[in-house]
Amino acid sequence: MADTRDFLLEIGTEEMPSAPLMNASAQLGKLVASELDAAGLVHGEVRVISSPRRLAALVPAVATATDEVHEVRRGPAASIAFDESGSPTKAAQGFARKCGVEAGDLVRRVDSDGREYVFAERSVPSAPAMPILSELSERVIASLQWPNYRSQRWGSTHQTFVRPIRWICALLGDEVVPVSYADVTSGNVTRGHRVLAPGDHLVAEAADYERTLEKAFVLSAERRAEAIREGIARVESERGGAHVDTPRRIFDEVVNLCEWPTVLVGTFDEEFLSVPHEIICESMLSNQRYFPIYDASGALTREFVVVSNADPRVSETVIAGNEKVVRARLDDAKFFYDEDLKRPMEEFVERLGTVTFQERLGTMLQKVERMECLAAAVARQAGCDEEGVASAARAAHLAKADLVSQAVVEFTNQQGVMGGYYAAAAGEPAEVCDAIREHYRPRFAGDELPSGTCGRCVAVADKLDTVCGIFAIDEPPTGSSDPYAVRRAAIGIIAMLRTLPGCDLRQLIGLALGSYAVQGLEFDLESVSAAVVQFFQGRLVAIAREEGLSPDTIEAVSSVGVIDPIEFMARARALEDARSQDAETFDALAQAYARAAHLADASLGTEVDEGMLADAERALLAACDEGSERVRCALAAGDFSAAITALAGLKAPIDRFFDDVLVMDEDTAVRENRLRLLNRFVEVFSGVANIGALSRKK
Amino acid sequence: MSKDVLTFQDMILALERYWASCGCTVMQPYDSEVGAGTFHTATTLRSLGPAAWRTCYPQPCRRPADGRYGENPNRMQHYYQFQVILKPCPADSQDLYLGSLAAIGLDPAEHDVRFVEDDWESPTLGAWGLGWEVWMDGMEVTQYTYFQQVGGIEVDPVPVEITYGLERIAMYIQGVDSVFDLVWSYLPDGTPMTYGDVFLENEREFSAYNFEVADVEMMRQKFDDYERECHSCLEHRLPLPAYDCVMKCSHAFNLLDARGAISATERANYILRVRTIAKLCCESYLAEVAAKNDGDAKKGEVA
Repeated sequence: MADTRDFLLEIGTEEMPSAPLMNASAQLGKLVASELDAAGLVHGEVRVISSPRRLAALVPAVATATDEVHEVRRGPAASIAFDESGSPTKAAQGFARKCGVEAGDLVRRVDSDGREYVFAERSVPSAPAMPILSELSERVIASLQWPNYRSQRWGSTHQTFVRPIRWICALLGDEVVPVSYADVTSGNVTRGHRVLAPGDHLVAEAADYERTLEKAFVLSAERRAEAIREGIARVESERGGAHVDTPRRIFDEVVNLCEWPTVLVGTFDEEFLSVPHEIICESMLSNQRYFPIYDASGALTREFVVVSNADPRVSETVIAGNEKVVRARLDDAKFFYDEDLKRPMEEFVERLGTVTFQERLGTMLQKVERMECLAAAVARQAGCDEEGVASAARAAHLAKADLVSQAVVEFTNQQGVMGGYYAAAAGEPAEVCDAIREHYRPRFAGDELPSGTCGRCVAVADKLDTVCGIFAIDEPPTGSSDPYAVRRAAIGIIAMLRTLPGCDLRQLIGLALGSYAVQGLEFDLESVSAAVVQFFQGRLVAIAREEGLSPDTIEAVSSVGVIDPIEFMARARALEDARSQDAETFDALAQAYARAAHLADASLGTEVDEGMLADAERALLAACDEGSERVRCALAAGDFSAAITALAGLKAPIDRFFDDVLVMDEDTAVRENRLRLLNRFVEVFSGVANIGALSRKK
Repeated sequence: MSKDVLTFQDMILALERYWASCGCTVMQPYDSEVGAGTFHTATTLRSLGPAAWRTCYPQPCRRPADGRYGENPNRMQHYYQFQVILKPCPADSQDLYLGSLAAIGLDPAEHDVRFVEDDWESPTLGAWGLGWEVWMDGMEVTQYTYFQQVGGIEVDPVPVEITYGLERIAMYIQGVDSVFDLVWSYLPDGTPMTYGDVFLENEREFSAYNFEVADVEMMRQKFDDYERECHSCLEHRLPLPAYDCVMKCSHAFNLLDARGAISATERANYILRVRTIAKLCCESYLAEVAAKNDGDAKKGEVA
């Protein structure tokens, strides 16, 4: 076993963006470890140390040379390894290739079992680590990926990285590992914090790296996160039970915007607290990366946390500067909000006539008109009383008004939220205000739904209008492109309809498309509506799969054309449960059904001449009649389990029928009568599930 | 304002002197309406081709839709950028930049200076780059971009573009809340000449013109005429006059936009037309000028 030393590869750069940096940090450790393994260099656990200006891998106890390898492998028996002329056979050649030696170098020897075999012997001498580490480092730098981002060139070089590389510190123990990439050559120096310890700092040996960094006012990502959390905890405890809001994404970014963090507190003027807090917080979090502070009662305070990367002694300047920026921003926000409040919402609604919804689908005002009609229909179907229906229509009427308000033009993310405020200020009822505020939900998978029925009706109307419009102009989403987020809209609609029993999606699609037609959009109603139905079916299938239902169960339900989410799921569950309780019956029933459906000829109809029937046939007919009646009652009661149990009851009669009766009788009349009976049998299933789908996977 | 705080003009002079000392050719603004310092030929066209180039210049920028009749303390339809181009970008460009802040009285050691990811893309120029907005105590003071493509062409070597928002920085240095209160210079008797004295009337008149008066039909015509003229120049292999026409088209488009005279569809189409001629100019400049210069330089070396 060779000596070991610590290995350091530090890639020094100009300030890297946070998300790609975090992604690359995760890659770096794995890359270095797998490269060391592949090179046969024994090593300790790789640690990654990163800051905006560096990405480093520190590996303890890396062998200074690879182990010497001596390998002997036994191959085929000598008798089959050589032909009559003594040349190696295909078997011998294959074995040699596998072992990485020439066939001529195979050795014949008698093994312990007394038989003669060929052996491959391979010796790889120990190789020094240094050249291996050089090559490995260059490969690692070049192979870091920047997903969802781009890398760049700089200067006159043609290699790329996420930002220009300015230095490389590469050491094995105290020796520099020669590495060059783009226009940079490695050395034994790192660089310190830009103002607290500018310039080069010698790293005497790899093991000293983190100590050297800390002396140069640079902390690792973990230490920075810890320092910021500690600072925030202090701020909270000094304010007795206060809470600092640190959304993950912003927190990660703040950690990667500094090398030596100092947690400071700034203040904005009292008057801004009258501005909707969503705007204040967005302005602080997204634009400035400040963390808002809430008091013990949960109320937003005038104070905010700002994390500085400056010399702690200039904190006062830093706070004053940031307060000035926040004042200017909040001044803007307050101005916009106050101006918006001076205008009646009806005026905003009218101005929606100047805003394009989609080039071929007209203005936002037209969309709002369609939404009003649709939201009322959803509310009615969902069982709202007249007041509820009127509220849904009213909320839909006002839902998009804030898009032309100054506050939303400036703070786009607050669409809906601002409308809620303006509606409340205008004295609209609470459920209307809530519906306006929440009608963009669910905005992503797993997002909350609008809290009330009114909001859900408006949200369904908004999204369904978009889905139908996009299909009407024949721009449905494809695998790679869904610019109007139609897929997400459909998933949202399904999630909401699952909470609104009574809604008939097929009818709503018809209404939505009808509104476009009334407004003069030209399209083929029948084919578009079929395409939308099919699209929803596709989403339902995907959702049902995610919820663990088996694909053939889903297909059985899907292929009878059910698209109402509640019913779809209830049927699929009932069928799945019935199958799992009595697999044998369902397998047999599925096969019989598939056979019957295959033979059945719909053109013959279902009128059976009872006089021509034999016993087994009569029994099947009776079972079909009884089954249909039970299915009808069960479906009327919404009891899918009962419907499926009724279908299961047909298993014995159909089996007996196929056992006893030859369907394809030579006599046409007999044959056709039997086919009519099979039609009748198939018909019983048609409203419930395509049981035949269950037989296909077998 | 204390006497040792820089006036607006001192700030420009200090930046010019500083970057001149770094080997920049001090240029003057492009003498036609441009929407940003980037549009100056000294940036767009000189970024192309292999020749080394360093320049700095202040550039008045016109953004007709941003006018607020001089009533908003921060927004104007005419404002200044200070532009620096270093090609190829040197390894110490960030240090040079930090030095320039010190040169205008903003010692980086006394503030919190941050390089915050902000990538740049100009659909009109067919250009993009990676870089940052530079924050000083939370305020954005500079755009810092490594160009990668200009006019749809990969730049090689890579220039770095440093663009200072002059008014904003001056407001910070001078501690005023309205741009119109900035001290531009002093009369001999010590009376301050403010930014408002110099430009307030300009903001009022041009806001009225941009939003209410500009002749829409004339602007449409002007766009079409200059677009045609651009093609004519290109046929005569004159990329610089052709590029001048691009700026005219771009400004006519901005005015039409401010007048609210273009629909969303038209808008996209106008932008596409500007991009098309801008790219043609870049290609022509590279073929006629930038690549040829390189040939000459090499010949010179051989001789």
